[in-house]
Amino acid sequence: MDRLDLTIRIAGENGEGVLTVGDVLAEALARSGLHIYTFKNLPAEIKGGASMTQVRVQDTPVRSPGDALDILMVWNQENYDIHVGEVKSTGVVIFDPDECEADESLELTQIGVPLQKITKTVIKTMKSKNVLAFGVLTTCLGIPFESAKQMVAESRWGRRKEFLESNINALKQAYIYVDDNDIDLGLRVPVNQRNGHAQLIMTGNDALCMGALAAGCRYYAGYPITPASDVMETLAKAMPRVGGVLMQTEDEIAAITASIGASFTGAKVMTATAGPGLSLMVEALGLATMEEIPLVVVDVMRGGPSTGMPTKTEQSDLNLAIHGAHGEAPRIVIAATNTEDCFYTAVKAFNLAEKYQTPVILLSDQHLSQRAQVMSRPDLSQVEVVERKQPDGNGSVSPQEFDRYEMTEDYISPMPLPGRHGQHYVATGLEHDEHAHIDYSPEAHIRMTEKRHQKIESAVNEPGFVQRYGAEDAQLGLIGWGSSEGPILEALDRTLAKGYKVAALIFKMLHPLPEKEARAFIESIPVVSVVELNASGQFANYLQGRLAVSLQRFNIITGLPFKAGDIEEYIEGVLQYG
Amino acid sequence: MAEVPAADTAKTGAPERAEEAGQAEQANQTKQATKRTLKDYRSEVKPTWCPGCGDFGVLAALQRALAERNLDPRDVVIVSGIGCSGRLPEFVNAYGLHVVHGRALPAAQGVKAANPDLTVIAVGGDGDGFAIGGGHVPHAVRRNQDITYIVMDNQVYGLTKGQPSPSTPTGMQALRRSVSMPKMAPYEGVLEGQLNILAMVIVYGCSFVARTFSSQATEMAKTIGLGLDHPGFAFVHAMSPCPTFYNTYDPWKESFLPLPEDWDTGDRIKAIDKAMEEVGEGVFHSGVFFQEQYRTYTDKLQDVYAKAYGDEQATIDALMDQYA
Repeated sequence: MDRLDLTIRIAGENGEGVLTVGDVLAEALARSGLHIYTFKNLPAEIKGGASMTQVRVQDTPVRSPGDALDILMVWNQENYDIHVGEVKSTGVVIFDPDECEADESLELTQIGVPLQKITKTVIKTMKSKNVLAFGVLTTCLGIPFESAKQMVAESRWGRRKEFLESNINALKQAYIYVDDNDIDLGLRVPVNQRNGHAQLIMTGNDALCMGALAAGCRYYAGYPITPASDVMETLAKAMPRVGGVLMQTEDEIAAITASIGASFTGAKVMTATAGPGLSLMVEALGLATMEEIPLVVVDVMRGGPSTGMPTKTEQSDLNLAIHGAHGEAPRIVIAATNTEDCFYTAVKAFNLAEKYQTPVILLSDQHLSQRAQVMSRPDLSQVEVVERKQPDGNGSVSPQEFDRYEMTEDYISPMPLPGRHGQHYVATGLEHDEHAHIDYSPEAHIRMTEKRHQKIESAVNEPGFVQRYGAEDAQLGLIGWGSSEGPILEALDRTLAKGYKVAALIFKMLHPLPEKEARAFIESIPVVSVVELNASGQFANYLQGRLAVSLQRFNIITGLPFKAGDIEEYIEGVLQYG
Repeated sequence: MAEVPAADTAKTGAPERAEEAGQAEQANQTKQATKRTLKDYRSEVKPTWCPGCGDFGVLAALQRALAERNLDPRDVVIVSGIGCSGRLPEFVNAYGLHVVHGRALPAAQGVKAANPDLTVIAVGGDGDGFAIGGGHVPHAVRRNQDITYIVMDNQVYGLTKGQPSPSTPTGMQALRRSVSMPKMAPYEGVLEGQLNILAMVIVYGCSFVARTFSSQATEMAKTIGLGLDHPGFAFVHAMSPCPTFYNTYDPWKESFLPLPEDWDTGDRIKAIDKAMEEVGEGVFHSGVFFQEQYRTYTDKLQDVYAKAYGDEQATIDALMDQYA
């Protein structure tokens, strides 16, 4: 039997409820033991504009949003016209014949279901239109009515008992209509196996929040910004339950400086933002580097520059994350690759920040942060948590004798905490000596610059931040970072299966750069290309500058994530035609 | 009924004192026995201010207020931004956090939120607090954390050598007294209006608003002390002349008046009126303009915890159940 792999898209006017249909379908399929991967593409406005949601379902973990569509459901003409070109030749279009006219010249299976009319005349509650749409999809997927009924009852539509009956009625009407009209796509998606407690359905932002809390984060300051606001909203619910503090500040500058203040006292702190907010935080990032204060800054990247495309995805803040500073302000920059990885990378971000007493920027992006995926529940007893180096507890060293910025072998100095240690000092953004006293002498600046740079260099030796995949004797090597991992690896598997000699190197640590692994990969493969979602090839430029090598690039700037098919075509193109 | 969590759990994971239990007791006894004086709050760093700077007066007044309260330097954090007054934490024997320009208040709020047991003092100048950092003041007031904010107002940017600030008087007035300001405003004087800092803070809803003058040492120490004692966000407008770039000593000595003896500190509208009238009268009043006790951010947070915990704090595993 073929592997289950279906990509289903629902599209309509923004605000009409299509997104809910997608969410409920994804959650229901995930609870039934299947793996899902969602993808939403919507305007930045609250109401109006074309909006779509997509669910890819497989029986093994899903790595990318899916290429062409197996099922497209559209609620109106505008969305029919936008999306119909993406349906597979074997795919099916479900459209509302009263709202749009199907193009008869297309060689596709097109099924008219009068969603609007049935809702108006039979169900008589317009709110239930999305349940009807859901029912049409579940019948088409071959899901028995009883199973679908349970799905509705367990979903947000079942939460309020007074609406449950009319929602179940709407579902029933879908099954009646499909049955009466002999619609059968021949699909039988298996939904019998119940998903246990061991699997979680999360977005990247959710997973990131849980990872932060597991690492000990108990202070968060932030300012609302798409697509990072969910981080603040999730933590607003969670922080009070674990004795932490969540502060919605007046801007991103306040968010990062308040976080620095909290970390100064010993709390593990985080702030999350998107590109415009990270731009505002740049000055204070330098402060945290200078004062050697642990801090985690999450940047959920979106399309830029300026206000750009708030609801679209892009990997275009890399330059800012690595280099954005006046003077030289080294910091650690890491990136998460998928939902599950958001959890573990958040833990690592805190561990790195605490261990190296430095700001850590964790790069996510709109698509990674807001899509839902199934992940294994983390075993918290296996999660390693690192604490920062502090002075000995005996308190015998007076503040006059104590060197906050002592030159140790690893350049990391014990950090006294107010209220706890008697070695009080003044952390300052001015250049200083070991004793934290202001010192502009050439010697002090040279020593402290070296300390700030050398301190984080050894972070490249931390395990798990760079990984090679694919053929040993590759003719083409792909380099990716962060969230492009999934589509790159899926494309790799497909092309390896076709006999192409191809390999991939995926970076989760971007600064400091794991140079040894990068060089070994690049020097061992005839053609190496950097695959990233930005126009200028920011990671490619950075690698070229650091390694003095020449690299190919594959860039997409549609505001949409990579499809595995995009990269598959690129690999075939390069290896067939050079 | 849920137990209100002990103070330490509210400290966002900030660790307990480092001493072993036995040592802690000993330290506590020593603490009781120690009576600190102003000198105990002097650091080894000599102030870098110009001779005659009003900030010397503010520093001494703050040190005296700390000594009178016998606060352990390890429990005191002084947060500052940039400017002459931003250097103050260095000169005090306590913890200090010297941040970027205009951001002393957000940093101080982070310190206090993460460890409410600390005595947190934010200091800065008129430019730091009401030009570049002006957007933070109303929000610090809204949060009403137990922080004392001392603004050393000299009505000029001193560290950058004498440009007009948001509190510099409009027109030619300041220029006649300043050797530096005519560089920035050579023709019609200062074009921008003068901010009424005190009135603004009262209107924001601040729970403690006072003014004091660096030349009146005893009175200033007392006023700062009242700010430290006030449970909530306390604003102390410390007029502190700059003899180098805008020497206002002589006029200010004449224009400083105490608030009337029967002044009602509980009337916000009267306090606003007073702060507005002063400008026309060309006087400054010293003393507490307004004080009222509201629940602090920490108080409200305790309620949130009591409600959110139920019987006990949630484990991270329990938080993840919502995603199963």
